[in-house]
Formats: sequence, C-alpha cells, structure tokens
Amino acid sequence: MTLLDAVQANLLSPAVLFFVLGVFAALVRSDLKFPEPLYAGLTIYLLVAIGFKGGVAIAEAGLAQVWLPALAAMALGALIPFWTYPVLRHAGRLAAVDAAAIAAHYGSVSAVTFIAATNYLQAVGQPYENYASAFLAVMESPAILVGVVLGRLATSRGSGTAPDPARTSLRAVVHEALCGRSVLLLVGALVVGALCGPKGMEKVGPFFVTPFQGVLALFLLEMGTVAGRRLGDLRKVGVFLLLFGVLTPLINGALGVLLGHWTGLGLGGATLLGVLAASASYIAAPAAIRVSLPDANPTLYLTASLAITFPFNLTVGIPYCLALARWLYA
Amino acid sequence: MQTHPMKLLTVVCEAHARTPVLDMLRATGAHGWTLFPVEGEGAGGCRTADIPEFTNLQIQVVVRLEVAEMLLKRLEREFFPRYTMIAFAADVQVLRQGKF
Repeated sequence: MTLLDAVQANLLSPAVLFFVLGVFAALVRSDLKFPEPLYAGLTIYLLVAIGFKGGVAIAEAGLAQVWLPALAAMALGALIPFWTYPVLRHAGRLAAVDAAAIAAHYGSVSAVTFIAATNYLQAVGQPYENYASAFLAVMESPAILVGVVLGRLATSRGSGTAPDPARTSLRAVVHEALCGRSVLLLVGALVVGALCGPKGMEKVGPFFVTPFQGVLALFLLEMGTVAGRRLGDLRKVGVFLLLFGVLTPLINGALGVLLGHWTGLGLGGATLLGVLAASASYIAAPAAIRVSLPDANPTLYLTASLAITFPFNLTVGIPYCLALARWLYA
Repeated sequence: MQTHPMKLLTVVCEAHARTPVLDMLRATGAHGWTLFPVEGEGAGGCRTADIPEFTNLQIQVVVRLEVAEMLLKRLEREFFPRYTMIAFAADVQVLRQGKF
C-alpha cells in the first residue's frame, strides 16, 4: 500500500467524510449546531470507551509490557516543546509567551485524532495494541506543564504589565492539567477497565464497542463545524504558523513511530504513538493555557491546533504515520 | 417592606476566564454569584458558543457599593488586558441586606 492508497482509504471513511460534511456546513453557514449537552455526552462516551478498552488491554497484556513504551510516550510529549519553542520563537519570531503556548499544544495530544487513528487501523485491517490508550492518557499533561513553565520563565524576565490574577501558583496549573475532565475520564476509565479485565468487557462491550464508530462519526461531524467556523482565522495567523501546523506533525509523527519501534511496539502501536506525537491538543491545552498564560494570544494556538493540524492529521497525518511504520517494519 | 440600595455587577466573559473571575469575586468580598452560558457578538467577534470551551459566560453578583467599585477596578486592571470580557454595574434594591 503506497502513501497515496493509504490516504485514499482514510479519506473515504465515514469518520473523515462526516468531518468534511461538518466543515462544509460551517462554510455555507448552515444553521446546523449540536446542542452543548450532546457534544458533552459524545465526548464522555468516546473517552470512557477508549479508556475502558485500553484498561482491559492492559489487564490482558500485563503492566510489564506497557510501562516502557508508556514512559517513552510521556517523555516524548514532555520533550516536544523543547524543540518547538525555539523554532516558534526564532524562526517564527513569535512572542515568548505565544511560542510557549503553541509548544504546549503540540506536545500535548488530541484524543479525537487518536481515536480516528484506531478506527482507521481497524478499517485497513492493521492490528494494534489496544493498550495504546494508556499512551494517550499519559501524554496529555506533561507538555502543558512544560509549556507553562517555559512561558512563565520567559515572561518573568520581561514585560511588567498589569498583575496577572491567575499567577497565584503553579498548583492551579497542575490541577487544571491533571484533573481536567479529559484526563480524569481517560485515566479513570483505564483503571476501571484494568480492574474489570475481559470479563467486564463482556458486560459493557455491546454499549462501548459496537456503536463506537457511529458515535465517532457523529462527533466528527460536530468537530467539522467547530473547525470550519475557525477557518476564517487562518488569515490572521500568517504563513509561518500554516507551515508549522503542517510540518510539525510530519516531524513529530516520525519521532513517535521511531520511538514506538525502539520500545518494542508492533507496527500498529508504533503508528498510534506516531499519531499521538503528531497531534496537537485543542481542548485540554487551551483550557490550561488560558488560565496559566493568559497573555498568550488564543487565536494563534487555537487556529494552529484546531484549524490546521487537526484536519491535516485526520486526512493525511494518520495514513502518513502508518505508511512510515510499514516502511520501517518492512 | 424595607429595601436597600446595592449594585448588580454583570460580567460577560469567555469560558476560560471562569475560574480566575470567580476566585477574584470571592477574594474581593462577594458572597455569592449566578452564572449562565450565553452567546453573542461584540468587538472581539462572534462567540459561536458551539462547544462549552468556546462559550461565553454571564456572571452576576449583587454586592455593596464599595465592593462593586473595588471589583470593577480589579477587573479593569487585571482582567481586561487579558480576557475577552465586558463588565457593567447597575443600581438595584434588595431585601435582606445581610445576605450580600
């Protein structure tokens, strides 16, 4: 399968097509809008389902097999801001606080991109380690914390504008990053799944596994409208961030796939680690950054992660990681 | 019926400002608040309110006159430069002065 075949197979999946439909609805200013509780309900379902499946897989595989790649995933997430920050700062000439905020978003991960990738692997018949959801859980927070520290170090040296009301403590940031609902649900469901094991899966499988693809398609329809409404902001962010939003996933994706290979993951698992590294957070990171680095410009980091990198990964980034892994494992 | 003059302070802000604004309200002497998600359009563009993270919040609090002045000052100095928000105060009459 060439890269082009892989991209084609991905583009014609219900998930991606519904995403495109959502973008179209936003562009033609349709009145299509999901009620907020439905959006919140779909998020909870997807996170719990993926976390639970991952937990059951950990129970089956044993922690001994999971801890090394999970630790590597965590380290990768934490280290990504250290190379993206200087690039944004010097090549992009962005303010320190903006560079730190964007770096945090790219080190952190997008659960939806990950879920779409597992969907894609199933569709092309590529087996993967189900416990990869654990990598998703451990990669979300470290980069946010690193980004916030980078931003605070940079700003404490310069700009003496008005006192920042949220500056009180790093404790608030840690709380936001570790107790936000996505991390809480994901880690919680992982633990529940690990404790229940395969027997628990028999009981909830019909609810959490069978309707999963349909729910994902519905959710991506909504995300298409959310991303589509922000396409207008692309004009505000400039060419550099456009390039950054497309090239960074290619580089980070390759790093993730390589790391998966080195830590003994199979082809599918390495692909997923690549997708995680390539993805950028647009829910957890903005919430934490807005509170802890309020001087960073949200248009820059939200547009980059939500309007550029997310659609790019959904369409090209995921098959790119699989093609790369196939080439590496060949 | 005995009523007392108070200020009704209304803050309309982005959802991400929720925690810092509420913390500040408490620290400055407000005894309670009411909050609801809203959507709207203003100088900062349209807040589509499509997902909870991108919605606007309207926070209302009834406080004594001197507390209202202090709250508005802090909002202007610490919050307006950073968050998308507006704030305004209005005169109101309340029963049970001690609650505020």
